[in-house]
Amino acid sequence: MPDTSPQSAIETLRADFRARLSAASTDRDLKILDDEFLSRKSGSVTALLKQITAVPADQRREFGALVNTLKTDIETALTEARAALTASRPPAGAVDVTLPGREITIGRIHPLMRVRQQVEDIFMRMGYEILEGPEVEDDYHNFEALNMPPDHPARDMQDTLYLAAPIVGGTWGAHRRAIPDAQVRAATLLRTHTSAMQIRYMKTTPPPVRILVPGRVYRRDNLDLSHTPMFQQCEGLVVGEGITLADLKGTFEAMLQQLFGDVKVRLRPSFFPYTEPSAEVDISCQSCGGTGCGTCKHTGWLEILGSGMVHPAVFEAVGYDPEKVTGFAFGIGMERVAMLKYGVDDIRLFYENDLRFLEQFPL
Amino acid sequence: MKVLLSWLRELVDVKESAQQVAQKMSLRGFAVEGIEAIEDLSAEASATADAVLDFEVTANRPDCMSMVGMAREVAVAYGLPGPRLDHVRGAGPTASEAPRAGDPPAIQIIIDDPQLCPRYVGAVADVQVGPSPSWMQARLQAAGIRPISNIVDVTNYVLLELGHPMHAFDLARLAKAQIRVRPARAGETIKTLDGQTRTLSPDMLVIADGERPVAVAGVMGGAESEVSGTTRTIVLESAYFNPLSVRRTSKKLGLKTEASMRFERGADPAAAATAMARAIALIEEIGAGKARGAVIDEYPGKTAHRIMGLRREKIRGLLGGDVPEPDVTRILGGLGFELKPTSSGWDVTVPTRRVDVTREVDLIEEVARHYGYDRLPVTFPELDVPPQAPDPRIMRARHLRTILAAAGFSEALTFGFISEPAAAAFADAADLVPIANPLSENFAVLRPSVLPGLVDAIAHNRRREQRDIRLFEIGARFSRADGERRAIACAWTGAAAAEHWGGTARPVDFFDMKAVVDRVCDAIGVGIHTRPSDDAWLAPGRRAAVMLDGTRVGAVGQLAPALADSHGLVGSDPVYVAELDLDALEAAAAGRSLRVEPLPRYPSVTRDISILVDDTLAAADIRATITEAAPVFLVRVAEFDRYQGKGVPDGKVSLSLRLTFRSSDRTLTDAEVQGAMDAIMTALKNRHAAIQR
Ligand SMILES: [Zn+2]
Repeated sequence: MPDTSPQSAIETLRADFRARLSAASTDRDLKILDDEFLSRKSGSVTALLKQITAVPADQRREFGALVNTLKTDIETALTEARAALTASRPPAGAVDVTLPGREITIGRIHPLMRVRQQVEDIFMRMGYEILEGPEVEDDYHNFEALNMPPDHPARDMQDTLYLAAPIVGGTWGAHRRAIPDAQVRAATLLRTHTSAMQIRYMKTTPPPVRILVPGRVYRRDNLDLSHTPMFQQCEGLVVGEGITLADLKGTFEAMLQQLFGDVKVRLRPSFFPYTEPSAEVDISCQSCGGTGCGTCKHTGWLEILGSGMVHPAVFEAVGYDPEKVTGFAFGIGMERVAMLKYGVDDIRLFYENDLRFLEQFPL
Repeated sequence: MKVLLSWLRELVDVKESAQQVAQKMSLRGFAVEGIEAIEDLSAEASATADAVLDFEVTANRPDCMSMVGMAREVAVAYGLPGPRLDHVRGAGPTASEAPRAGDPPAIQIIIDDPQLCPRYVGAVADVQVGPSPSWMQARLQAAGIRPISNIVDVTNYVLLELGHPMHAFDLARLAKAQIRVRPARAGETIKTLDGQTRTLSPDMLVIADGERPVAVAGVMGGAESEVSGTTRTIVLESAYFNPLSVRRTSKKLGLKTEASMRFERGADPAAAATAMARAIALIEEIGAGKARGAVIDEYPGKTAHRIMGLRREKIRGLLGGDVPEPDVTRILGGLGFELKPTSSGWDVTVPTRRVDVTREVDLIEEVARHYGYDRLPVTFPELDVPPQAPDPRIMRARHLRTILAAAGFSEALTFGFISEPAAAAFADAADLVPIANPLSENFAVLRPSVLPGLVDAIAHNRRREQRDIRLFEIGARFSRADGERRAIACAWTGAAAAEHWGGTARPVDFFDMKAVVDRVCDAIGVGIHTRPSDDAWLAPGRRAAVMLDGTRVGAVGQLAPALADSHGLVGSDPVYVAELDLDALEAAAAGRSLRVEPLPRYPSVTRDISILVDDTLAAADIRATITEAAPVFLVRVAEFDRYQGKGVPDGKVSLSLRLTFRSSDRTLTDAEVQGAMDAIMTALKNRHAAIQR
């Protein structure tokens, strides 16, 4: 038979309450406990107190005191539990911090412009003046002054789009005190390279020259995986006394390593009518580390830009003395750079303006 | 230029593999487009596989469009002797070595225009037309040339070997046994070897017989004098034609041939005779026939050898490093230049085949090319003047890009040319700038506005499950009247803000787009206002001109629904667009400097006013009336509520404005402000019949 002494009944009830309290987690749970233990009609503490009649007379005083202590303890415990529960509850106006935030819609800068800005920044750090020129040009500045007289076979290298009638081209150089609002008077074609600006610049500015001309250029090429009729170029020109092919090499090593990271740079002889000697500049393939893969057509090298020492005929055309000054010029395609840098294998993606593509370039 | 490796090895004793040769030559200026492995075609039929290397020959090097030309480059690259012409297949005593003195010429050659045809070498041979030997056919095929007959194959073989184009006529088909090199007569026609009848003009040079043209000089022979199976006697032609003339003729006829490609870049006048000798030798060697009579060499336009100075100082000055003298003489000597030492360097005689070498720098390039660009030093150009600031328009465009991206717009790049119908919606037809030789109808005119391309980009995205699209572009637009001007354009469709659980989505409206225009103009530093416009490409009632000091600088509004439909946006949400003339805005902002205003020292007083006015009255007019009537201490007017509906009579609108008053030199009294409010209300009543609510 279990201990049925009044004292043991009190302790049993206390233990029961503690167990129940530890499981209670809401106001409702506490209210139920309050009712079950302390209700004046049906509470188990009240019921226990009623058993006082069964307690021997000499122990009644002690029993009564013990039950009252239990009652007070339960009351205190419940009050504390309620307070704790209240304290843990969010204050008025509290928010669910796990809900998504209100999105700030933000756009993206086009990857070709992103690359262009990087290239511009690299050359700015090297002390180049960055300037833009008109997109429509005349034959003299686009071809003739660049050692490509009419009927020159090299013109075939740049299939040109011509305007049905001449228009006034854009302005350039307004920021230069010497050349305010220079303008193309009668443009007859869409420039095939930004080199036309080099002629305009040299004709109005004495050497030394250190410029970079970014911008859109146009060729009569059909749209396919690797060609577009319009593309983005940055062309540069450095002219001064004693500028050499070695300077050209040093410039490209510095520039390409800033643009692509740790790459090797090599020059291959090539041909451009406006440079002599001419060179294609390659960087080591990063996909394979130079051992050869599909990206680099198993050569380990990727062609990245065309360059060369400015042809004396170009200097003569702008009134510079080729016996006194030398220089180098180069052109780099932003599409080519972006394709290699970001692993884009279809040039058309740059001109579809698909948000699913653009949004892959964080602002 | 397709180079058969076994043939190359006949000319120069290079032992390396096709890949090694390709690698080496690509660093000498001859990129290799591809290497095709084929079965061995060498005379000794060794176990090693043969290969065809497809070299990319740049436009300035017609001398390398031949086996001998490439062999010369390979020989110099490897430091080997060559090209060894005595080693080649079919080498034997040449016809020129045994002149047949006394034999009467079997053909008469007359050059009417020595400018256009400085040299014409002709010979007659009796032949038995048949197939050429298999080794010759195999070599032609490896180079991509179809074997035809022993005679035609010999001319093509010489073309490949020496790079000099030749032609063979059937003597029996030449009227009066005559070759006359003359300009074509107006309206003359010729049926060329490709079977096409072509009409000639007097700016084209032809080879004629006694009566009519039998070949387009340097471009293609005629079908009627073609060598056929019944031909008994041939006339061989080995001439030199003016490059420009051949180029113009080829372009005009739209006819590009192996011959025209070489002549227009510049053939070697000296090679005309060697090629003839070689062809006769080959014909005799393979048993195809025998020359009859002497070779006729008409050479009225003899070219002198170019001699030019090459200075050591200049080599160093251009390359930035010294090239040892033995390397200079080895390289140039190997390439066929003759060097005579002088005090400063050398006097160099240029072989006639090197049409690209006309200046000292051309010689320096030859030296650098074969010395190796990789062996030159690496330096960095010294900065000898202070760097210049960048063109501010570039920096401003960067700034605008950032602002628009922060406003939720992504940057698009669209083409500068669009279709004529797409352009016509945005400009007068007479103001469009058509392209003379467009790629297609889609690229027929220069864009008069950036918007058509941008709207196409919106449509592209709509078709790909995108609903909320904001795009912008900065770029040139073109018109006959104003020429090329730079513009900034935005297009926006879908929601005004991203969807969120706590709010209701609202579609973009006019005022969202107008706010973008305000933001852009503010960034440039100009203040603009808008007024209703009637641009047909915008929706009536939701279109405005953007004005700057009385000049229109742009437009903003909803794209006309019919126009949206035509761009493939059928049934889509409205598209709001804006376009601004960036050149005009920048010009207006030029010279404006940023100056700070002192902060206010006295408190401001605000008063609200609610009025009933006609609903057609522009808010700008009300503002103007208020500003005019108020004293100078009215500093701000802001519309904060506009209401139509219950309690407002039809045709009226309830407009609430908040007016802020502040003086810079005192605290305003109630009486002063009330006086201002009274004056304002009186003016509104008088001018607009406004009723205060
Ligand atoms: Zn690779």
